[in-house]
Amino acid sequence: MEPIVTARHLQFAFGEGAARRAVLRDVNFEIRPGEIVILTGPSGSGKTTLLTLVGALRAMQSGSLHVLGRDLSGASEEVRRAVRREAGYIFQMHNLLPFLNARENVAMAFGEESTMPRPEQLRRADAVLDQVGLGARRHDRPSSLSGGQKQRVAIARALVHEPKLMLADEPTASLDKQSGQEAVHLLRDMARQRGCPILLVTHDSRILDVADRIVEFEDGQILAR
Amino acid sequence: MNLSVPFRLAWSQLAQHPAKLATGVSGVVFACVLIFAQLGFKGALFDSATAVQAGLTGDIFLIHRNTDTLMQTHAFPRARLYQALAVDGVAQASPIYVGTGSWKNPWNATRRAMFVFGIDPGNCALNFSGLREGLPLLKRDDTLLFDERSRPEFGDIKGALRNSSEIPVQLSDRKVNAVGTFALGVGFTADGNVITNEATFMRIFRERTFAGPDIGILALRPGADVLAVRDAIRARLPEEVRVLTHAEFVGVERAYWENNSPIGAIFSLGVIMGLIVGVVIVYQVLYTEIANHLSEYATLKAIGYSHRFLVLLVGAAALILAVMGFVPGVALSLGLYKIVGDVAFLPMHLGLDRLGGVFFLTLAMCFGSALLAVRRLQAADPADVF
Repeated sequence: MEPIVTARHLQFAFGEGAARRAVLRDVNFEIRPGEIVILTGPSGSGKTTLLTLVGALRAMQSGSLHVLGRDLSGASEEVRRAVRREAGYIFQMHNLLPFLNARENVAMAFGEESTMPRPEQLRRADAVLDQVGLGARRHDRPSSLSGGQKQRVAIARALVHEPKLMLADEPTASLDKQSGQEAVHLLRDMARQRGCPILLVTHDSRILDVADRIVEFEDGQILAR
Repeated sequence: MNLSVPFRLAWSQLAQHPAKLATGVSGVVFACVLIFAQLGFKGALFDSATAVQAGLTGDIFLIHRNTDTLMQTHAFPRARLYQALAVDGVAQASPIYVGTGSWKNPWNATRRAMFVFGIDPGNCALNFSGLREGLPLLKRDDTLLFDERSRPEFGDIKGALRNSSEIPVQLSDRKVNAVGTFALGVGFTADGNVITNEATFMRIFRERTFAGPDIGILALRPGADVLAVRDAIRARLPEEVRVLTHAEFVGVERAYWENNSPIGAIFSLGVIMGLIVGVVIVYQVLYTEIANHLSEYATLKAIGYSHRFLVLLVGAAALILAVMGFVPGVALSLGLYKIVGDVAFLPMHLGLDRLGGVFFLTLAMCFGSALLAVRRLQAADPADVF
């Protein structure tokens, strides 16, 4: 099977001239269908930059990167947006819209181009909220949910539109040990059910057990194992 | 794309902070009321400036080409009226003589300028309120009818006429008798008005003659096409005479005040002030709304929303503020118009055209603010959310 993500000789640097600082030096890696990959390493090692490139949130500089069948080198904003629509994102902070309740937040993931009728979007949002155990809180706003509950709503948002790739950045950073464990296991189980691959960036060693494969990152490069 | 999505989102976002929403809405209300007030005053003043013209009944009007305002009329040959009368469709022609006389207050002898209209009481095209009853009294020479809505400085002629059938007054050098009243009203063209017959007019203004009226009023036969007859008269008369429909005749005076007085500019400035206040407040509300939700907007971009969607979101918020402010703005303005009408006798009307015009200005104001505020959206970078 074709890999979901293929990176070859990927390089990236911030700044110009003398202030130029390379964060990715010749990164080569791939994610295969259904695979759960954890990217770990010290902070500043470039792992989040790699995640934003794979997620098409940032324009590439050099090397080649194919995500979900699309070539991202020199890709337009439209192509990158198409990749973003097919991916699911989980952020360090939950990043829910404070003025929408849980089910409305989840339904946002269907996007502006969705032709699905609003009631169907909300029905699917409710179904996913049930799966993450928050069916009873579907009408609550983020401000009345706990940190773990908010992250579970975020997981529901990342999954409701059946993404082909899941990207998560330090999903446990704002959670205590137990809710962090719960959230990550929930994420793994739901992704497994759907056969959806995950690229998860973390330096939380307590959650490494959910991975099929752990990629260690240091100083802009993948450490050979 | 379904446009209800950004609207629903914009509404949820605005409704989250009722105090901020109220600030934005009251900014729009304030701007609306200010604009309606300025336009109302301007309209009322122009209406009062053209009250005489509006009170003349006729289909076609002749004036000298140099006559731009009643304040300064130029006589044209009466023969032009007879020429016009010969055109097919014209039924009747009546001349009006206009002059500015110096009125001496019978009680305290102060002098003040006023309009004097000389007419033929048997063939009168004036349609001022209360005039019909007084017209027969004008058949006697050296009599006049007094505008009871003239400024009080002219003296309480109406009150005095309750006890006496005529009040001797002095107009310029001529002693005449006030024998009745009518109601027209004054604006900034005149402080007072009187009407005399033609012969009396010539005695007050010695330099004037029957041969040179200031306004010619033509009544057409029923069914005649006003524009066609006007064009036929234009073709026949020399260029020294302007041939106008009633609307055009009113428009001449209005244009004079719009172009030759600061009134139009003053009130336009008021409208602009209102717009600026509105733009500043709405911009402030929209800008802080964007700034406070920047990370959420970046998140929306990260999960696949376009920049265009976020612009639509801000535009929808602007439209919501515009509509929510305009409706109470209209209600308050109606109250204001009523109060001003009752207290200052300035008739203020809220017509559909003004309603539409102000709504358009309100929309432009809110969308202008939105355009300024969306520049802040550029700072919503999806690469920053991870």
